[in-house]
Amino acid sequence: MISLLDIAERTHTGEKVDDKTWDMGLFQTISELVKRYDIKFPGDHTFINTDDSLVERAFAAGLECLERLGIFCLPTKRRVRLNRDEILTAIRDAPREILMGEGRDQRVWKQRKIEGKERLNVCPGLHTPYTEELAPLVVKNFAQIPRADFIEGFNFTKVDGREIIGPPLEVYASRRQLGWMREGVRKAGRPGLAVVYYPINTRAEDLICVMDPDYGLRRTDGILLSLLPDLKMEEDMLSAAIVYEEYGSFKLSGSFALAGGFCGGVEGAIVEGIAKPLAAMIAYRDTIHYTGVEHIHMLNARQILLPGVNWARSVVNQALNRFTHTNCMRWIIPTSGPGTELNLLEIAMQSLEAPINGMNLYAPRHCRTTVNHGQTPLEAEWMIEVSDAVIDEGIDRQGGNELLRRIAQRLEGKKPAQGYDLTDCYDLIYHKPRPEYERIYFQVKKQLNEIGLKLS
Amino acid sequence: MDPAYTPQAEKELLESLKAAIVEIDADRAKEAAQKIIAAGIDPRKAINYSIKKAADTVGQKFDCGDLFLAHLVMVGDLMDEVSAILEKNIPSDQLVKKRVIVIATVQGDVHSVGKNLVAVVLRAGGFEVHDMGVDVASSLIIQKAREVKADMIALSSLLTTTMPYQKEVIDDLASMGLRGRFRIMIGGGPVTREYAVKIGADGYGKDAFEAAEEAKKLLA
Repeated sequence: MISLLDIAERTHTGEKVDDKTWDMGLFQTISELVKRYDIKFPGDHTFINTDDSLVERAFAAGLECLERLGIFCLPTKRRVRLNRDEILTAIRDAPREILMGEGRDQRVWKQRKIEGKERLNVCPGLHTPYTEELAPLVVKNFAQIPRADFIEGFNFTKVDGREIIGPPLEVYASRRQLGWMREGVRKAGRPGLAVVYYPINTRAEDLICVMDPDYGLRRTDGILLSLLPDLKMEEDMLSAAIVYEEYGSFKLSGSFALAGGFCGGVEGAIVEGIAKPLAAMIAYRDTIHYTGVEHIHMLNARQILLPGVNWARSVVNQALNRFTHTNCMRWIIPTSGPGTELNLLEIAMQSLEAPINGMNLYAPRHCRTTVNHGQTPLEAEWMIEVSDAVIDEGIDRQGGNELLRRIAQRLEGKKPAQGYDLTDCYDLIYHKPRPEYERIYFQVKKQLNEIGLKLS
Repeated sequence: MDPAYTPQAEKELLESLKAAIVEIDADRAKEAAQKIIAAGIDPRKAINYSIKKAADTVGQKFDCGDLFLAHLVMVGDLMDEVSAILEKNIPSDQLVKKRVIVIATVQGDVHSVGKNLVAVVLRAGGFEVHDMGVDVASSLIIQKAREVKADMIALSSLLTTTMPYQKEVIDDLASMGLRGRFRIMIGGGPVTREYAVKIGADGYGKDAFEAAEEAKKLLA
């Protein structure tokens, strides 16, 4: 695979491009590819793609997109060009499995098959900001979920009572995050569970300071080094990638495309959604990705559902599964907040798609998360429950479409619910939902049974 | 106005300009603008009707997913070009100055999607927008705001750890005795209205559309 040092050189020798030229060039290139490869949303009731020839065309479009555009290095304003051979070699050499964690908590994180029959790998949380008072207890609660294969860190605004501002306090806070993560997994009885560092900030010092086999990030842990939307990369992330390649930690990327943005609509997002994890693998050596398509209006909680988004996500993940070793995760991002019926229904929809499209599961979290308001352990357990039921029932793409259509009917016309703070709907001391939330959970479970998904 | 143009004909010309902008047809839009001037129609009507209505329509189309961010950029560029044609025919003392907004993602933060969206929606809403990009220090934001005689500074932050830099801009303005010169609006993923109030911002936008409405209210 092309060396990270080659990438580093190209961030300084590549063609100079200004931001607007890059953004509009991305839009024009992707629009042209969508037309030429005939990528078209078939219609409202399609949530999961069943057109295999479309998947082939989409993959070809994604490859060509990356070959023609390259990656944009934000600080140097240069295009990092990649030729087809380099891209194909990277696809060939990328690992299918990632070993993580230690001792009895060691896990193998695997690429899934479309309509696969194996239980999914799971990261139950966090990727959500918490106050430092709640931090260790929150980590413990999520790490107690038996199916957790790794757990991700979180952001926060104060450390030791001080507001976090500026690199020195960011570095201190970053190391505290890992300290709380390690403490939380120990308290949960899972000392070897892999933790993934969620960057407090994306400066190189914030990314690298947490390496510490005794109290921080072990070699068997991971770090989130994400490519930005619109195929943009950061030099500091690349610096961290170079260091972590030697250290040994695995790396994750947020590799979904944002429909409504510069990639265009859902069809354009398919093209970027395929190109982006490949770019992240090459630029940062990321081996696990949350993949697919989201929509600007859904991430802003303006709409619960938009036509074509589920379908586009499905095409991306099917393409990545069929033609690459990309390890795809479904980041479950409901538009409604925790503690609500709508939140659980949205999570059910997204969790149902995951095993059918060949994706593992990742950190259900409200799209407009704020401090202590984003997720509870119940949603993580719920996503596992739903996806397990899909696998146990042997639900295929056709069956999945029908179930999703029925759930979508219950969401149509509704606006996202605000939801509740974590401690308002979940008891972290006794690791259970509060009675009202539990009642809602059973109600939603009943609804899914009525819809046709057998949950115990 | 040329007496050959009836009110109906005037309306059709104004509508044709609006339609050309919505369809992002630069040649047709510029031609329509020229025709409006040639017809002796008050160019302010075209600005207040055709361009404004086009911006509203484009905003609605974006909101329902028919148009995307790049379209808003193109419409913004086209609106600027058409305005320039029309404004040449308005006496300078009658030109209504656009309200000016400087927007940036704060220091230490390189996230731009939300900020880009707000910038294009504000521009489409008739504001003159100076987008400073990402990871911008407080001093540079204030310098720019002074240079362009901004009416408002809009600050975006997607990381909880960069939110304090929004406060820094407000505090720096206060220490320079400039706080009263600029309205401050903040936004971004983890940012809330409560936080905006806490740090002394004037306004908060939960998303691009709310930000545009908030800007209109604050700068009315």
